[in-house]
Amino acid sequence: MTASAADLTGKFDTSSKQVGVAAAILAVCTLILVFVIDTSLVQEVLGLARAFDARVPTFFIRVAILIVALGAALYLVTGLSYYKRNKLAVTPWLFLAIGLGLFMLYVIVPIFQSISYSFTKWDGLYDINGDWTGEWVGLHNYKLLMSDPNFYTSLKNNILWLLLYMLAVPIGLFIALFLNQTVRGIRIYKSLFFFPFVISQVVVGLIFVWAYNPQFGLLSEFWSWFFCDNKVNIVGNLTRVCSVEPPSILGNEHTATYGIIAAGLWPQIAYCMILYLTGLNNVSPDQVEAGQLDGARGWKMLWHVVLPQLKPATFIAVVVTVIGALRSFDMIATMTQGGPFGSTNVLAYYMYDQAVGEGVGRYGYGSAIATVLFLIMLLYISYFLYRMYQDEKEGH
Amino acid sequence: MNLRLTKLALAAAMGSLFSGSVLASDLVITFDDLNPDKKAAYEAAVEAFKAANPDINVTANNGDREAHKDTIRNALQNDAPDVITWYPGNRMGPFVDAGLFTDISDLWASDPNLAENFNAIKPTMSRDGKQWGVPYSFYQWGVYYRADIYDKLGLAEPKTWDELLSNCDALKEAGVTPFTIGTQYLWTAAGVFDYLNLRTNGYEVHNDLTAGKIKYTDPRIRDTFAKWEEMLDRCSFVSTHATMDWQAAIAPFANGDAAMYVMGNFSVGQYKDAGLTDDQIDFFQFPEITAGVPRAEEAPADAFFIPANAKNVENAKKFLAFVATPEVQGEWNKTIGQLPPNSAAEINTDDKFIVEGFETLSTASGLAQFYDRDAPAAMAKAGMEGFQKFMLDPSTLDEVLENLDRVQAEVY
Repeated sequence: MTASAADLTGKFDTSSKQVGVAAAILAVCTLILVFVIDTSLVQEVLGLARAFDARVPTFFIRVAILIVALGAALYLVTGLSYYKRNKLAVTPWLFLAIGLGLFMLYVIVPIFQSISYSFTKWDGLYDINGDWTGEWVGLHNYKLLMSDPNFYTSLKNNILWLLLYMLAVPIGLFIALFLNQTVRGIRIYKSLFFFPFVISQVVVGLIFVWAYNPQFGLLSEFWSWFFCDNKVNIVGNLTRVCSVEPPSILGNEHTATYGIIAAGLWPQIAYCMILYLTGLNNVSPDQVEAGQLDGARGWKMLWHVVLPQLKPATFIAVVVTVIGALRSFDMIATMTQGGPFGSTNVLAYYMYDQAVGEGVGRYGYGSAIATVLFLIMLLYISYFLYRMYQDEKEGH
Repeated sequence: MNLRLTKLALAAAMGSLFSGSVLASDLVITFDDLNPDKKAAYEAAVEAFKAANPDINVTANNGDREAHKDTIRNALQNDAPDVITWYPGNRMGPFVDAGLFTDISDLWASDPNLAENFNAIKPTMSRDGKQWGVPYSFYQWGVYYRADIYDKLGLAEPKTWDELLSNCDALKEAGVTPFTIGTQYLWTAAGVFDYLNLRTNGYEVHNDLTAGKIKYTDPRIRDTFAKWEEMLDRCSFVSTHATMDWQAAIAPFANGDAAMYVMGNFSVGQYKDAGLTDDQIDFFQFPEITAGVPRAEEAPADAFFIPANAKNVENAKKFLAFVATPEVQGEWNKTIGQLPPNSAAEINTDDKFIVEGFETLSTASGLAQFYDRDAPAAMAKAGMEGFQKFMLDPSTLDEVLENLDRVQAEVY
């Protein structure tokens, strides 16, 4: 044993008295926590019905006590001889403990809760005694899903989103190639092209809703140059009369989803463009020059020389686009709320709509949709992780 | 012995510390409308209640109406106020069934005002034979129309279906779209459906349908849809209705491109904001379709409830009884331009829509709440989507009705 190691053990050598104090603090904190969390218990014991009415202060008190308790627990653990013997193995887990705990509490546990709700019929309410009001129905919700036309519409729309959203990758690439030149003021043009990605999805949605509006939208203004006249109506006001009605893109079940996807593509193309622009900076000029000497130009140059060097950028662009397509919820919520009659729903929005939207309160059914969505995502994520793993293995 | 004494002393000390807050009685009210006139009426009523009950310490909360629909679930289960606003009919069903509202049948029986002056609305406030809330306001639905356009074409308010259809013919001939509507948020279509159904089949069928006792493929409901198809065909609605909300649908009405609007009385203020005057707009009751069917009306009510977790139930009951008095009901509804559910309350006779609304509702044989309040929310959502689909393409009728039967079998 070297001197420094002996030093370390000496430093962490805690007397049994210290361990005792830490254990006592922990016990007190736990006791207080139980009391503060379960206010009804406090009320019963002390008759302090009104003492804990102000909820915000008690929340902070709870957090403070929790922190003290965690500190005491940490001190207690570091004082144990088991810890001293296995310090290197245990310490990383101690650091991870809080993060892992929160991850369990807010991600892992809800996933399993949600899956378990999918086997029940429940309207989201607990009764006055805090008892759960649902009932177990087995696979009933899944059987219903199989015969629900709205479910298939949502699934079809999810696939449409995934496929059409991929257009952002090649379009982004070509804009990037186009902007990848040195002329005066190119930074301004680049910024302008990147602009849609900076504004919020909700704003993008609203801009397109207005543009599509068949009465006063940009599209219908354009339309009325060709097909419409202004006439005086029966009460003497001007009104627009069209020989062919302007298209109501979001009001027609056949075009509405495409309308929303087009709106979503606008910022997504900008995102892919910026990824490719940074990628293009790293394209080696030597290889391009060598290609030129060998007579490669145009498409051949792009396909055989530039694109292979852009492979990392392409991979990221595809990944963020898939994620973007699955995050279509915001666009749908701002633009159509799933309408007309549910024809623009995707699974995520349909789940929200059935469980919490407008008080519909079919939590069991919503959870079944969520479970199906989870399985689909799981497939994609597994493939993605597998690819990453393979790349790592090749790389090292 | 000593220990017991100490305990007693401790208890006494605790008691003196907290007795103040136990005796001084509190009342926490949660309201859900921030619109200026609604807010003013609510605050005025609370002030009057405070003046009448100086010993009660009132906390009056108010919040956004749409947000309230989400937050009420949490409020009822955790941190309940003593009085809360919500909708009667089937909308209160889930909360009543989960035991989250207090049964106030005793108040309805013991308070002479509630027992005598609320007969028309009482069935709406009842579930399982008990009463759960007290309504403070309701309003009529019907057809709002452009009187100036009607006059120009020499048309009269239609009393029957055929008169309505021939009015539509005349309007179309003059280049006016007969009806405006905005179905983006679906519920407006339910208003049209409810009226067609109430006039074709009557109040019982409406209730049985929304209670899940009649299928959507029932021949009587098919009759209703046949009338609707006739209406779509001969009366036609503005073509872009699926992308408009109900306020946007006022634009063609105000501009004179559309002549009629099946709507609730809350819309009158918006017509006036759009530049129309009392001379240009008027109201008629939705015309008779099947002769001899007693006339029932849509009259959605807003009400106060006492959560089961309320801490000051006696004060809450006092407040409900206070809100039910003819004076408060009259004053409240004058301020917000709606109708008092209390039949002894005064109405604002200067407002012709209120006068007609009072006439419409007080002579109705039955009061429906509205499709999306009478039917459970999951059914209402699917139903209204079906109505919109049918309005956009009437040939999908069979598909729509069969899908609604499927949802109905699941929901009830």
